[in-house]
Amino acid sequence: MASIMRPGLLRQACQTPAASQRMLSTMAGSAINRPIAQQLRPAFARSAIPKSTRIAAFHATQRNQILPPLPQTIVGTANDPVPVPNPSPSHGNYHWTFERIVAAGLIPVTIAPFAAGSLNPVTDSILCALLIIHSHIGFEACIIDYFPKKRVPRVHKASLWALRAGTVALGLALYSFETNDVGITEAITRLWHA
Amino acid sequence: MACTRAFSRLATRRTAVRPAVFFSRGFASVNDVHAREPISKVAEKIVPAPATSTIPESKTSTIKEPEPTKDARNKTFHIYRWSPDEPSSKPRMQSYTLDLNKTGPMMLDALIRIKNEIDPTLTFRRSCREGICGSCAMNIDGVNTLACLCRIPTETAKESRIYPLPHMYIVKDLVPDMTLFYKQYRSVKPYLQRDTPAPDGREYRQSKEDRKKLDGLYECILCACCSTSCPSYWWNQEEYLGPAVLLQSYRWIADSRDERRAERQDALNNSMSLYRCHTILNCSRTCPKGLNPALAIAEIKKGMAFA
Amino acid sequence: MARLSGLQKDVLSLYRQCLRAVRQKPAETQSHFRDFAKAEFQKHVHVGKKDFGTIEYLLRRGRNQIELYSDPGIRDIHS
Repeated sequence: MASIMRPGLLRQACQTPAASQRMLSTMAGSAINRPIAQQLRPAFARSAIPKSTRIAAFHATQRNQILPPLPQTIVGTANDPVPVPNPSPSHGNYHWTFERIVAAGLIPVTIAPFAAGSLNPVTDSILCALLIIHSHIGFEACIIDYFPKKRVPRVHKASLWALRAGTVALGLALYSFETNDVGITEAITRLWHA
Repeated sequence: MACTRAFSRLATRRTAVRPAVFFSRGFASVNDVHAREPISKVAEKIVPAPATSTIPESKTSTIKEPEPTKDARNKTFHIYRWSPDEPSSKPRMQSYTLDLNKTGPMMLDALIRIKNEIDPTLTFRRSCREGICGSCAMNIDGVNTLACLCRIPTETAKESRIYPLPHMYIVKDLVPDMTLFYKQYRSVKPYLQRDTPAPDGREYRQSKEDRKKLDGLYECILCACCSTSCPSYWWNQEEYLGPAVLLQSYRWIADSRDERRAERQDALNNSMSLYRCHTILNCSRTCPKGLNPALAIAEIKKGMAFA
Repeated sequence: MARLSGLQKDVLSLYRQCLRAVRQKPAETQSHFRDFAKAEFQKHVHVGKKDFGTIEYLLRRGRNQIELYSDPGIRDIHS
């Protein structure tokens, strides 16, 4: 179980699903036989490529219309401005600042236990709390982006509630893991050394 | 009812799995393209078509150079065509072959030559032919740019593909409907708002440092290249303002002579208008004027965070 | 009467909007405007019921046109 964390095995594990994906999407012949390591070539390898070929298209994924474009709706006449929504700082600048503080705070909390090697339940619980908040905010942004409230109001609401349920479940799970088991830092340490 | 419409449209879209284009990507840039398909082919696959799929150029006729000469350097241009006069027809890719010796150096020259000499029905916006009016914004070889500032690649073997700006409603051929874009621009009140008159009753003065803050902002020509390259703008066009309009908003927020800074910030202070920007940075990469809308958006966010 | 789809309702509401806009015009030219609106709808009457893209485009163009023609400065029309 713990050996899954080993990078060597990871690479092997990654190749199998890649092969099964190929059954569905017939890739261009040149891409099939290349090892995944080559496809994941680091960005600095770019410098060897002539500049003219480096012009990049905007997105590299396959076109797939999940929500096809709706007919254009223009509110008011062509010369009216778009309605300006009411200011709501809790979804606006406070939210953004909070999000950045959480993300920045995660960095030292993640590094500290591994650097210091100490097992402090306080830092452990802070790490858990920040992780939960961070992932909640991240998924929330995805839902707002991809299930627009105007377009699919019910799906929007349902997925937001599902996310809240998931966050609460994650919180409970981490709480019980922290109190009844070894805690998240120790678990990762053991996985790493296993 | 609207949902049945969406479902039937889902059923009519292309169901066959298309060959996936595999990219190895570092950050926001796509590198190592030459190992795979030529970029123009990739562009054809990724440029979104409006609701219906486009008839590829292989199924339409190619219009050749009118008077071919011996040492001609012929290059093929595939251009998106759709005429509102036959509204039920599908959009198609029309191919034109041009002799580069007789054509000017820029994409706009090629388009004008096609319109003048080969096919007068080709429709596109153009005005100044020197990158100051922003009319000729279009998607050339997969990148939003101004046709008048885009050189024709001299390799004649490579075919060029020209599309209208992506994710816009099409009026005709390469002409997108910019109504929403201009309405959004109007909503940020792009003019000086002051209550107090100038102290000496003459013009509003500004220090050199304050003027310097507007460099890189006032040059924006509202060509909409950046907005239409932004995935966030693609998904939430009605609510998210898009990089071009936000850059213009910042141009007035940053102006020392403007006195409605707080109101302008309040207008953006909600979940959708500004904060749908996820720093994808397509806007800065595509801007044909070399501006940095992403930086302007970041400055707005910063200014609002520590207000 | 059969239940109408959302798109059909949109088309009908646009037509009603046209008829309402006609009433704002001077009395002697109202029939011209009415005939013009009718002709514009008749022109595309053969478009298939499931041709959503086309109908949506025509609706878009119709809304633009009605905004343009409802300008009080336009007092007569010859089609």
